[in-house]
Amino acid sequence: MVLELRNAKKTFGEGNTLVEAMKETNFVVERGELVAVIGPSGSGKSTFLTVAGGLQTPSEGEVIINGKELSQLNEKQRSKIRLQEIGFILQASNLVPFLTVDEQLELLNKVKKDNMSKDEQRKLYEDLGITKLHKNYPSDLSGGERQRVAIAKALFSKPAILLADEPTASLDSDRAFEVMELLRNETKSNQTATIVVTHDVRLIKYVDKVYKMTDGVLRLESSAEADVTE
Amino acid sequence: MFLAWSEIKKNKLRFLLITSILLLVSFLVFFLSGLANGLASMNREAIDTWKVDAVLLTEESDKSLYESALNKEVADELDAKETAVVSQMGAIANNGDTKQNVMLFGIDRDEFIKPEVSEGDPTFYVQNGVVASDVLKDEGFKIGDTLELSSSDTELTIVGFTEKARFNASPILYMKLNDMQKIKFGDAYTMNKDIVNAIVIKDKEWDALSLPDNTEIIETETFIENLPGYTEQNLTLTYMIYFLFVISAAIVAIFLYVLTVQKISMFGLMKAQGISSAYLARSVIAQTFILALIGVVLAFGLTLLAGSFLPNAVPIMFDIPTMIIYGLILIVVAILGAVISVWTIIRIDPLEAIGG
Repeated sequence: MVLELRNAKKTFGEGNTLVEAMKETNFVVERGELVAVIGPSGSGKSTFLTVAGGLQTPSEGEVIINGKELSQLNEKQRSKIRLQEIGFILQASNLVPFLTVDEQLELLNKVKKDNMSKDEQRKLYEDLGITKLHKNYPSDLSGGERQRVAIAKALFSKPAILLADEPTASLDSDRAFEVMELLRNETKSNQTATIVVTHDVRLIKYVDKVYKMTDGVLRLESSAEADVTE
Repeated sequence: MFLAWSEIKKNKLRFLLITSILLLVSFLVFFLSGLANGLASMNREAIDTWKVDAVLLTEESDKSLYESALNKEVADELDAKETAVVSQMGAIANNGDTKQNVMLFGIDRDEFIKPEVSEGDPTFYVQNGVVASDVLKDEGFKIGDTLELSSSDTELTIVGFTEKARFNASPILYMKLNDMQKIKFGDAYTMNKDIVNAIVIKDKEWDALSLPDNTEIIETETFIENLPGYTEQNLTLTYMIYFLFVISAAIVAIFLYVLTVQKISMFGLMKAQGISSAYLARSVIAQTFILALIGVVLAFGLTLLAGSFLPNAVPIMFDIPTMIIYGLILIVVAILGAVISVWTIIRIDPLEAIGG
């Protein structure tokens, strides 16, 4: 398994003001697996995502990415893990405003090795339908185009884990389904472990497993295998 | 460097603004340094040409050439390698058209401070002939001009010009010591003919010389610093330059800080993706370096260009090594100005940036 949360729990404050944003959670995702975490806003989805993505450490329990226990590491080391192992597709556009589409990806080449080759990059652009946009700045792109570039950027570094926070939020249905199709294909072909956090239940037909987050409690809702046996 | 340069290319206007401010500050620094150098040179260029190590004056003159009077025989008593006597007097010279404040320097023919004549009779040592500082040419003085002096009936004739011959902001007229003494002392000449103002000394070991009573030997630099007005003038300009260094650091600091604060969420997102603070900090420093370098280099060229258009009356003189040092200091202080921004970047929490 590539990502595991073992009895992980995240609390804020203390005493009377103690808030359990994420109650004790056990979660495992394997390479080549696409899972969705659904739930209403305020349910603790974002906390789950940031803990799983190594942006914060759990208050209790362990987060293990590719065999490394994150709470043992300092911010600098966790930053390195994020760079090497994780691709983020965030709700807020995570594009740098003064870089063209090509340069967004080029930046990753400056800070990290073993990204996609030129050919792989070209194919990725085609898959995402952004080939013609490669010299544009984010301000010249529509919301949907920006999201597709963000996905390209996340996949470009060939991450072991892909964390997507509402990746289809700004897309129309057709595009949203296309993006999910694409995430699914990439997950399978690159053997990435992909976690999609969303409130859009229409997307769950693309995923292998669905987890539901309610009031800080994460539980397995359904899995593709279960569907098959039904 | 990639990130730094890409941002400059995309946001040309805002970076043009900060570069132009740096350019103007640098221009002012270079210009003031030229002015400081030029003004200093007006005071000291003659002494610099002599290349003397020390100056012997009377003790009671308190390091002032004008107040010092000693017998020229003293030079023989000194065990110095090379010496030259200087007798000085201030006067107004009038060639019929122009009056000019000058300084008469009476010197001995055989001694080393005898000026190199750039124009005119190289053996200037003729009765009442003077070799004048070439700045007088700009005032309309010519070879062959007869000069009336304010304090004497004796008339002098310009027989030649020499370069770099100003002392304490006055052009020098070099002349024969004896002629000079006659003008200076008039009826009392016979009694005073051996009284000169100072003896200048070329000897690295001047410190070890045994001195006659009531005399004082001072290093050339100390002597120059004690010229009336010299140190005050120099310090004023130097302080202005130092202050400009502080100002440019502050300008860069404020400007970059504002830019950085605007980009906090962007930096946060990049940090969330695992791009290190060190990379982002290096990028800001590289950006500052690029801007400061462009500003300073342009200012350097502009200063030299502006200097070549100035009239000779403006005492500006560029000393390229000093300007290069000041340019480097400007770049370094600009980078120091980026430190606050670097600190801000390091403190950004990636978690806040993504709203987690």
